[in-house]
Amino acid sequence: MVVGGGIAGIQASLDLAESGYYVYLVEASPAIGGVMAQLDKTFPTNDCAMCVVSPKLVEAGRHLNIEIIAYSDIVGVEGERGNFEVTVNRKTRYVDAAKCTGCGECSQVCPVNLRSSFNEGLGDRKAIYKPYPQAFPNVFTIDKGKRAPCGLTCPARINVQGYVALTGVGKYSEALSLIYENLPLPGVLGRICPHPCEGECNRGELDKPVAICDLKRFLADQVKTGIPVPGGESREERVAIAGSGPAGLAAAAFLARKGYPVTIFEALPVMGGMLYAGIPSYRLPREVLSEEIGNIQSLGVEIRTNSPVGPHFTFDDIFREGYRAVFLAVGAHKDQKLGIPGEDDSHVIPGVVFLRKVNLSENPPSPPFSKGGMGGFSDEKVDIGERVSVIGGGNVAIDAARTALRMGAKEVSIIYRRSRNEMPANAEEIEEAEEEGVKFLFLAAPTEVVAKDGNTVSLRLVRMELSEPDASGRKRPVPVPGSDFFVESNTIISAIGQTPDLSFMEGTGLSTTVRGTIKVDPLTLQTSREGVFAGGDAVTGPGIAIDAVAAGKEAAVSIDRYLRGEDLSAGRQPSIPEKSRFADIYDGQPKALRETMAMIPLEERRKTFSEVKKGFTEEEAKREALRCLNCGLCSECLQCVDVCKAEAINHQMGEEELKFHVGSIILSPGFDEYEAEKLTAYGYGRFANVVTSIQFERILSASGPFQGEVLRPSDSKHPKKIAWIQCAGSRNMTGTEGNEYCSSICCMYAIKEAIIAREHQSDVEPTIFYMDIRAHGKGFDAYYERAKEEHGVRFVRSMVSRVAERPQSKNLMITYVDAENRLQEEEFDLVVLSVGITPSKGATEIARKLGIEVDAYGFCKTDVFSPLDTSRPGIHVCGTFQSPKDIPETVAQASGAVANASAPLASVRGTMTKKKEYPPEIDVREEEPRIGVFVCHCGSNIGGVVNVPDVKEYVRSLDNVVYADESLYTCSQDTQEKIKDAIKEHNLNRVIVASCSPRTHEHLFRSTIQEAGLNKYLFEMANIRDQCSWVHMREKEKATGKAKDLVRMAVANARLIRPLDEQSISVIPRGLVIGGGVAGMTASLKLAQQGYEVFLIEKEAELGGMARNIHHTIEGGDVQAYLQDLIGQVTANPLIVVITNALIVDFSGSRGNFSTGVMVAPNMYYRKIEHGVTIVATGAEEWKPTEYLYGEDPRIVTQLELEGSIASHSEEMAQLKLKQVVMIQCVGSRNEERPYCSRVCCAEAVKNALKLKSLNPGMKIYILYRDMRTYGLLESYYTKAREEGIMFVRYDPGNKPEVKKEGKDISVSFVDDSIGERISLKPDLLVLSAATIPRENKELAALLKVPRTAEGFFLEAHMKLRPVDFATDGLYLAGTGHGPKLISETISQAMAAAARACTILSKEKMQVGGVVAVVEGERCAACLTCVRVCPYGVPAINERGEAQIDIVKCKGCGTCVAECPAMAIELMHFREAQLEAKCQALML
Amino acid sequence: MKEVSYYPGCSLHGTAREYDESCRGVSDLLGIKLSELKDWNCCGASSAHCTDKDLSIALAGRNLDIANKGGRELLVPCVACFSRLKAAEAETEKEGVPIRYALDFFSDEPVIEEIKKRLVRPLSGLKIVCYYGCLAVRPPQLTGVKEYENPQHMDKLMGAIGAEPLPWSYKTDCCGSSLMLVRTDIVKKLTGRILSMAREAEVDCIVVGCPICQANLDTRQGELASETGETYDLPIIYFTELIGLALGHRDVKKWLSRHIVDPVKVLSARGLI
Repeated sequence: MVVGGGIAGIQASLDLAESGYYVYLVEASPAIGGVMAQLDKTFPTNDCAMCVVSPKLVEAGRHLNIEIIAYSDIVGVEGERGNFEVTVNRKTRYVDAAKCTGCGECSQVCPVNLRSSFNEGLGDRKAIYKPYPQAFPNVFTIDKGKRAPCGLTCPARINVQGYVALTGVGKYSEALSLIYENLPLPGVLGRICPHPCEGECNRGELDKPVAICDLKRFLADQVKTGIPVPGGESREERVAIAGSGPAGLAAAAFLARKGYPVTIFEALPVMGGMLYAGIPSYRLPREVLSEEIGNIQSLGVEIRTNSPVGPHFTFDDIFREGYRAVFLAVGAHKDQKLGIPGEDDSHVIPGVVFLRKVNLSENPPSPPFSKGGMGGFSDEKVDIGERVSVIGGGNVAIDAARTALRMGAKEVSIIYRRSRNEMPANAEEIEEAEEEGVKFLFLAAPTEVVAKDGNTVSLRLVRMELSEPDASGRKRPVPVPGSDFFVESNTIISAIGQTPDLSFMEGTGLSTTVRGTIKVDPLTLQTSREGVFAGGDAVTGPGIAIDAVAAGKEAAVSIDRYLRGEDLSAGRQPSIPEKSRFADIYDGQPKALRETMAMIPLEERRKTFSEVKKGFTEEEAKREALRCLNCGLCSECLQCVDVCKAEAINHQMGEEELKFHVGSIILSPGFDEYEAEKLTAYGYGRFANVVTSIQFERILSASGPFQGEVLRPSDSKHPKKIAWIQCAGSRNMTGTEGNEYCSSICCMYAIKEAIIAREHQSDVEPTIFYMDIRAHGKGFDAYYERAKEEHGVRFVRSMVSRVAERPQSKNLMITYVDAENRLQEEEFDLVVLSVGITPSKGATEIARKLGIEVDAYGFCKTDVFSPLDTSRPGIHVCGTFQSPKDIPETVAQASGAVANASAPLASVRGTMTKKKEYPPEIDVREEEPRIGVFVCHCGSNIGGVVNVPDVKEYVRSLDNVVYADESLYTCSQDTQEKIKDAIKEHNLNRVIVASCSPRTHEHLFRSTIQEAGLNKYLFEMANIRDQCSWVHMREKEKATGKAKDLVRMAVANARLIRPLDEQSISVIPRGLVIGGGVAGMTASLKLAQQGYEVFLIEKEAELGGMARNIHHTIEGGDVQAYLQDLIGQVTANPLIVVITNALIVDFSGSRGNFSTGVMVAPNMYYRKIEHGVTIVATGAEEWKPTEYLYGEDPRIVTQLELEGSIASHSEEMAQLKLKQVVMIQCVGSRNEERPYCSRVCCAEAVKNALKLKSLNPGMKIYILYRDMRTYGLLESYYTKAREEGIMFVRYDPGNKPEVKKEGKDISVSFVDDSIGERISLKPDLLVLSAATIPRENKELAALLKVPRTAEGFFLEAHMKLRPVDFATDGLYLAGTGHGPKLISETISQAMAAAARACTILSKEKMQVGGVVAVVEGERCAACLTCVRVCPYGVPAINERGEAQIDIVKCKGCGTCVAECPAMAIELMHFREAQLEAKCQALML
Repeated sequence: MKEVSYYPGCSLHGTAREYDESCRGVSDLLGIKLSELKDWNCCGASSAHCTDKDLSIALAGRNLDIANKGGRELLVPCVACFSRLKAAEAETEKEGVPIRYALDFFSDEPVIEEIKKRLVRPLSGLKIVCYYGCLAVRPPQLTGVKEYENPQHMDKLMGAIGAEPLPWSYKTDCCGSSLMLVRTDIVKKLTGRILSMAREAEVDCIVVGCPICQANLDTRQGELASETGETYDLPIIYFTELIGLALGHRDVKKWLSRHIVDPVKVLSARGLI
C-alpha cells in the first residue's frame, strides 16, 4: 500500500505494479497529483509541470494493478511486516464513482461558489467539483461542511442556503420550488416571519446577516407559481382540519400533496386565521394571502368559512361525516387579561380583538375570502378617538399601535414595563413604528383604569425598575413605590398576550395542559383522542407563524402514517447536524452592505394600509443573495441531482470503512506549505498583494485564476516590480515564527518564478531577497547564473524586516539593509513569500496512528544509512515527509522505497497481480474495411452543442461505414457491451468513437475491441468534445459541421489502419552493476534481495569506492563500520558475483537482453556476461586543487585529507594545538571550468570544523564561503557551528581570498563584507573545500551509448521524473556519477535504480513493436540522417548497407520518419498514406 | 463602583492635560473611580533609564510600592510610564498589583460592553487610523501584547464607539520621540512617513494613546509643511477623547481645544460635535 498520491506515491505505485505487485494507492484528497499538479513550470528545465505529471496520472490511473483509493484516510494499521491489516476510511464524495463519467454538467448548474483550494484561494470553484481538469480519478466530489445555521434554525427546516444560492444565480423558480418543499406560504412568511434564521446567520459576525426573509418574499413575488402538484397516488381517506391559519394551511397543503382529500373548517368568515385577523394589511397585503391560499386550494383543499368546530359540529360529527382524521389548528385568539381594576371599561379593548375588528371591518374582505357573509363580525365598528395607549411590548402591541395611527389617532403611545432592550417585538418593527410617530413609555406598568368622562379614561401607572433577570432571561421589572402617575387616553389597547380559546373542546374529553393549551405528544402531535392531532398556537400558546407551519408539516406526516397504519414516531427523533460557525468558513471575505427594501413615503405610510415595504428589485436580490457565505459549502439545492443523466449523485451517501491486507506500506504523504499568516511582519492575509509562492505558481499557470497572465490580486493589474522574500518560515532561529531548518527548494523555485514571470511579461523587474542562494542540485547553479546574467533577475542579500502596505495603491514597502549596510525602503507592486515546507498535517496524523517516530520538526525519523525505512519494520517513507527535498530526489526516493518495500515480498511476486486475457484475434487483413462509428453525447457536453443524431446520420452515408450509433456516455459500462455486440453482429473490423480525448479514453476503447477479438490498433478516435463542442459552444451549427469533418477524417484514416503485431521477447533475469562503491553495492544487494543474479564490476582491486575516504557523516554515522558491513553482505550473497580489477570492453543489446564483455586484471582474461538490465554507478572523486598553493605546503589540505587526518590521528590533532584554521569553500566549484555546486562541501566543512572544535574548543576556525549551502535538515549543523563560535565570512567570487607564503607562515587575506575591511590571517592549517568531479567515464559512456553533461556526469532521461533512468531503456544510474551527493542520498538513489531495474527483470516476456518506425530497405541511401537524429540512438546501418531500426529500442517518436530525405521510413499506425487520406478527407 | 489607582505621570500634568482630563472624564461616566497615587514621583522614563539603571528601577519601584499598599489595580495612561513601571516590576520580581496601560484597560471586553451600553453618539462616519507607537505593544515580554506586529485592540475599541478604523501598516512604527531633541532630522523623517501614510489612507484623524507620540505628531506638522511644502492637517486625538465624545461628555470641546491641529473642524464636518 502506498499512502499519499503526490508524485512520490504515483512513482512508487507504478514501480511496484510494474514489478509484479498489486498496489493500493490511498490519497486523502479527491484526486492524485499532489502539489506538482499545481505548479506552473519546473526548474531547472522549465518544463510544464502539468505536461510532465499528467501522463503519470493517466498511467497510474488506468494501471490494472494499481487500485486508487482516493478521498480516503488511513485509520490504523495492525500486524507486521509481510502481513499488515490496514483500515481505511473512505470519505463520501456524494457521487458514485462507478457511475460518474466526469462530464462536469453538475458543476455547471451548481449555484455555490467556493474558494478553489487548487488555485490556493485565488479563484472560485463550485461546491461540486473536480480539483483540476486532468484530475484522476475523473470523478466529481461534493464539498459538504457542517450545515448552515440558517436552515437548521428554521422551525420548518427550509433549505435556506439552497434557495439563497439559487437566487444569486437567477434561478428563481428552482429556488421557490425548494422553499415549497417545506413551506406552502412563501409570500406570506417572506413578509411576516421574524426570521430566526437571520439571527443565526454567520454573516452577522462580519457585517449584517443576509436578508433571508426579504429574499423569500422576492422569490414569491417574482415567480407567481402554484405549488407543484405531485403526480403521486390519490388516497381515499378524508382529513378534517379545524382552522385555516398557517398550521392548518400547511397541514392541508402537505396532506393534499400526499393525495388526501382535505377540508378545512374555519370559524371566522375569512380564511387565513391570524394571518388575516391578526396581521394588518400594511404588513401582509390581502392579495398575497389570498393568492397563496388559492394555491393551496388548487391542490384540492376545500375551505369552509363560518364553520367553527364546537357544540354544533363536534368531533363525532366530523368522524360521522366520514373524515378519518382531524387536525386541530385553532390558534390562540383569546386575549389575556391585564388583571387590574377597571379593565372592563368600554374604552379598554384587547389587542387581538382590536386587530380582528379592524382587519375585518376597515379592510372588508372580498371574495374569495368570505363566501358565507361576515357572520356578525363586519358590523363591529371601531372608534378609537385621538389618543390611544397600547399596553405591551410584543408584536401585537406594535401592530395595534401602527394600526391605530392609520385609523387616525393623533397620539399613540406604547407602554411597556421593561426597557427597550427587553421588548419581544422585532427590532425592525419597533423602528418603523417609531419612524411613523408611535411614542414609547418604558418602565411603566398599569395599575388601574379610571373612567373619566364619556370619551376619556385615565390610566394609573407606576414606574418600574429593572432587577435581576427572571426565568425568561429578561430583567425583572419591580415597581418603584410611590411613583404613580396618570396617562389619559381615549382608547386603551391591552396587548399583553393571548391564549387559545378551547371552549369548543368542552365535553370532548381531549386533555389540556395547565397553560390552557391542547395536550399533545410533542413528537407526533397526537392528542389524547385517537385520530385527532393538534398543532400551532393552540398547542404551544402564541408563537410565530413559521412554528405553526412546521407543526402543520409534522401533523401531515403523522396523519399520513396514522392513516396507513404505520408507526407514528419511528425515525422522527431529529438528528441535528452540527452548525457551521463563522470561524469555520470565514476566510477574509470582504464586507458588503446588506440590501434594504425601499419603503413607501413616511407620510403615506401613516395614513394608508398599503404595504410599507416595496420588495427587492432583481439586482438587489441577486446582490443580496451573493452576500451569503455558503456556510454549509454544498447548499443541497439538488440541482446537480436533476441534471446528472448518469444518476451518479446521492446526497445521502455515507462514509465507508475498508480493510486491506498488504505486505508492506510506503508513506508519501507530502508536505504543507508553511502558514504564511504566522509571519505577521510580512502581512500575508492582510495585504492583498502579498502572495505565497504556490499562489504565484497558480498566477503563472495557464490553467490558473488569471489564465497565466501575471496579474496582482488587489486590482488585477500587471505588477512591474515583484519581490520574492526567501526563507519565509524557514531558517528561523527565534523559534517563534518559522522553522529552524532550510526548506531546500525555495531558492530554486523563486528563481524559476522570477524567470517565468519575465517570460510572461517582459517588463517585470524581479528582485529576490535572500540569505544564501542554495542552488545545490544538478544544473541548478548554472540556472542561477543565467537568471542573473540573462534574465535580469536582481538578487539582494538581505533579510527583509517588514512589509508595509501603502493605503491607496496597495503597493508594498519593503524594509531591508543594502550591501553598504544602509537601511532602505523600496516600493514593490507585488510580494511573493517563498514559503517553506512543513510535514503535512495528514502526515503527522498518519505517523501518530501508525506509531512511527518523527524527529523534532515532525519529519519522519530515519537513519542516515537506511534513509527510507521508518521506525516500524515494513513501513517505508519517501519524499518530503522524510525531509525537505525537490522533485527529482522525491521521485528517486519513491523508487528507492519500492526496493525495500518489495524485497520481503519477492517470493510472492506476481501472485496477486491481474492480467487481462483477451480472446484470440480475428484476422481481418484480407477483409474490406467495415467501420462502426459510435458518436457520444457526453451528457450534454457534446450533445448540447453538436447535433449528435445529425452527425450519426451523416456518418452512415460515408463509404465503408456499416454501422453508426449514438450514446449518452460512450465510456459507460453498458455502452462497452453495446460496442462488442455491434462488432459481432455487424462483423465490424474497424471501430471509431467520436467523443473526447484519446489521452484519457483510448485505452478503454482499445481494450473493449480486444475483448471482441479485434486487434487494438483497429480503433480510431475523433475528438469532438475538447476540440469541438467545448471551443465552439456558441456556434452550434458550425460545431456540428466541424464534428462531421472530424469524424469524416477519422473514417478516412480508419480505412487504412492495419492490425499491428507486437512481438514478445524474453528477459534475462540478471543484472549488471558497474562500480563497486556504496551505490553499486547497494544496488546489487537490492537486486539480489529480489532474487536476481547480479554481476558487480569494480575497476579497483577493492570494493568501497569514495566511501573508503569518509569516516563519519555530519549526523555522526560511522561510515567505515557501515561500509565493512555492506561489503560483507555483498561478498557473502550467493547471488552476487563480484568481479574486481575489471574493465568493461564491449557492450551490446537492448532492454532485457544485454551482452557485456569484461576484461579482468591481472590475468587480463575476457568474460562475457548476458544480462537484462545495467546499472551505472561509477562514482566521483575529490578534485586536486590547482590554486591556493595546494601541494606547496603540507599545512594546505583538502577537506577529505583533513577528514582522514582527524580519523587516523585525532589524538595528535588534539595535541597539535592548532590555534587557527581557515577553510575556503567552492575551491574548483561554481567557476567557469566547473559551473556547478559540489553540494557536499558546505556540510563537509561544517562537519570537520565541528569535529576540530570538539577536539580543541579553543581553536579559531574561519570558513570563507560564497553561499552556505547546508540545505534541508543540515541547517541545524550550520546553526550549531555558529553557536560554537566558528566564524563564517562571505567572500565575493570577484574578490577571492588570497593565499600567500610569508616566510614560514601561510597568509590568507580576504575582504569581510559585513565590515567592509580586508583581514589577514596566518592560520596553522588551510583547508580547501575542493570540487567533486566524476571519475573517468568517457569511454564507458561511449560504449554504453549514454549521454553525459558538459561536466562529465552521467545524464538521466529526465531531470524531474526519471532521475535514475537513462534515456535508453534498461540502463539506470545511481550515486555520485550522476552528480555530487551525500551518502544517504546515494543509498536512496541506488535503491531507486534497483527498483527501476526490477520493472524489467520481473517480466518473463516483454511486448515490443506496435507503433515503431520501419525502414523500407530498398529506398534507403544509408545517408545516416536517421542515425544522427534519433534521440535514443536506435538506427544503425546493417550488413546490407541499409538503416535498420531495432523495434525493441524504438519509441515511436517519428523523428527519423520526418527527417529521412528518401522517405524510406514509415511509422506504423501513422503511415503517410493515412495522414494524406485524413488531410484529403478534410479538404472534401 | 469600581475603584483603581491612577498614576498620571508628568506629561499628563503638563503637555497632555487633555489626556488626563479625558481619562478621568471617561472613567467617571463608566463608573470607575480613579484614585491618584499619593506622593507619586517621576517614573524615570525621560533620562534615568539611559543614564542609571538602578536609579530608574528605584524611581519606578517607589511608585509601585505606593500602589501595592493601596492594593488596587494601577491605571497608567502614559505609555512611557507604563513601560518603566513594567520594567521595574520585572526587574524586582515583586508580585504586586496589576499595572494596566490605559489603552489595554479600556479595551477589556467588559469595559467595552459598558461603553457600548452608554453610547450616546456613535462616531459613525469618522475614518481613523489607530497609531499605537512602539511601547504600547513592545517589548511583548513586558507588555504581554500578543499581536505586537499588528495590534488590534485600539481598533476594536474605536469600532465599538462607531468609528471606522482602517487597516494600516504603520500602527507600531517609531515616531522618533526619543530623538526628539537631539536628532530632529530623523524625527521629521519618521513622523513625516507616519503622517503621509495616514494622509494617503484618507482618514480624518490619527488616534493615539501616548502623550509623547501625540506631541510629536501634533507639533511637527507645521514644521514639516514649511520644509516640504506638504500639508497634513491631521488632528492627533487621544482615544479617551473620542470615547468621551461618544459617551457625550460635556468637556470634550475643552479637551480638544488644547490640540495644535484643530480636531473640532473635522469632527464637526462629520456632524459629531
